[in-house]
Amino acid sequence: MTAHAELERRYRRWLWCYPGWFRREHEAEFLGVLLVGAREGQRRPEPRECLDLLVGGLSMVLRSRVARSDRAAVLALRLMYLGAVVELATVLAVLASMGEVRSATLAGDPGYTAAQWHAEVTHGLDPIVVGGAVAVGLWLWLAWANGRGQRWARVVFVLFFALNTCSLATGIGDDSAVYARVDLAAGITLWLVQLAAVICVVRQRSTVPGSGRTSPGKS
Amino acid sequence: MQEASFLILTALAAGSQHGYAIITDVATISDGRVRLRAGTLYAALDRLRVDGLVQIDREEIVDNRLRRYYRLTADGRQQLAAEADRLRANAAAAFTRLTLADGTSG
Repeated sequence: MTAHAELERRYRRWLWCYPGWFRREHEAEFLGVLLVGAREGQRRPEPRECLDLLVGGLSMVLRSRVARSDRAAVLALRLMYLGAVVELATVLAVLASMGEVRSATLAGDPGYTAAQWHAEVTHGLDPIVVGGAVAVGLWLWLAWANGRGQRWARVVFVLFFALNTCSLATGIGDDSAVYARVDLAAGITLWLVQLAAVICVVRQRSTVPGSGRTSPGKS
Repeated sequence: MQEASFLILTALAAGSQHGYAIITDVATISDGRVRLRAGTLYAALDRLRVDGLVQIDREEIVDNRLRRYYRLTADGRQQLAAEADRLRANAAAAFTRLTLADGTSG
């Protein structure tokens, strides 16, 4: 194998750091730029080139592809990441207020046993904590997907909001969400953040250029 | 605006260029101080395309290799001009202060 062919093979392998849509659209020209810039007789990418390709590929995978001029979309993303933070704070609030809940329960019912408390934690609080942790992941995942211009992410986010609204309303209705004031405050804050994010998501522009086949002059 | 983006827009201000030509032009414009690598270039070009400042102009095949040319959009030209104005105003303020300081100390 010639040095040129070997170098091309190695560059091509490094381009696997980039997402599929990017490789389909840019791999040929990208390889051309890399090979034109290579030294005579170079057989493998230099360490700095590898690092540059790795960082570039990761940034293509992780970075938002929302136009800065699309203020609604930018704000929606910020609110969705804020939502993840508030959701995490809610989970922590539930964990931190367990003692308060137990004291309040004991004050209301002196005969409350350790076994009853264990059952309450297992059936009432643990699902809230696990559900909250899943919700944090959902906020982050939907923010990432929305930032990549995925339309389905908007639909799922609106459904997520509807679900959260029902959950909060049900919780307030049957008193299960008001076992500690701090949790209720966190739940309402979270709902307000989500409401603002939904409004922005609905108002944001629908297209992100470059994630599909692009014709010259039509980017 | 990041310096790499500013220099790429500057390289494209006089006309469309392909990837490697942008890299060499940026090195020339910055007097060799900024040497873009291919990964950095394509990440910046993608960002500029998403922001609507740059678009693909045309493609050609040279030595069996695809070359894609990029050009500024009207928004890109406007933003480059605005950024250049901002930098010029900052530079003018710096020179004015330096002149004042030289006058005071001299």
